[in-house]
Amino acid sequence: MSSRRIVSNEKTVLDQDSHERNGATDTGKSNIAPAVPASVIIKLLGFTLAMMIGPLGIYYLSLNSLFKGNSTFAGATAAITANIVLIAYVVVAFKEDQSERLEASEAEKKKK
Amino acid sequence: MAETELAPKFAPFFGMGGIAFAMIFGCIGAAYGTSKSGIGIAGVGTFRPDLIMKSLIPVVMSGIIAVYSLVIAVLIAGDMGPPPGQSYSLFTGFLHLACGLSVGLTGLAAGYAIGVVGDMGVRSYMQQSRIFVGMVLILIFAEVLGLYGLIVALILNTKGRG
Repeated sequence: MSSRRIVSNEKTVLDQDSHERNGATDTGKSNIAPAVPASVIIKLLGFTLAMMIGPLGIYYLSLNSLFKGNSTFAGATAAITANIVLIAYVVVAFKEDQSERLEASEAEKKKK
Repeated sequence: MAETELAPKFAPFFGMGGIAFAMIFGCIGAAYGTSKSGIGIAGVGTFRPDLIMKSLIPVVMSGIIAVYSLVIAVLIAGDMGPPPGQSYSLFTGFLHLACGLSVGLTGLAAGYAIGVVGDMGVRSYMQQSRIFVGMVLILIFAEVLGLYGLIVALILNTKGRG
């Protein structure tokens, strides 16, 4: 019998079902809210699109209509547009942070 | 188009080089800035996910570096045309090369600075929130380096049409 394999009757980690291991599911509700709220994703998508389309779109729009073919001014306008997008992003990021902090403090007040 | 002393056949080579250098160097700088500060954001985001939105500022700034290069490349490309219709002098070729190199290499410098400052600045911001204003200021100063290159390139580009 010395050559007999060791047979384990206990369940290993792999045999167990997942919900038995993680206690969150069997003790009531789990948090199923998305990790990143939709408003943030929309903001980021908006800035991505603004960064891609904004400067070049402004360049070609203003080239013939506003500056009558003077491409130097149109190029400068495109660069300014890119910077406006950047400033808008900084402002939005700042407000985002403040609103989150306000919500957190309000939630704490409600608990008390 | 007859070949003259002022407009030899090889003159467009330098203009094309200007377009390529503007895009290549500018995008190398923007890519370095994006990736290096992206590493920092990935490090911060695991501990403080609420700071990600504010930490993305160096990434947006690197994007602007690429936009500068793109604007100059489009400008130079707009001034060029196939030979029979347009006489392209050697002066214009060198001018466009200078345009492309100035915006490309300043973009490389600015992107490098944004990458290093963005990485360390974002990591420090996780521990000390008051560093944010200083970080944004340093990033703006790094960004302005690329803007100077753009201004010089725009001024140079007007000389080619006179």
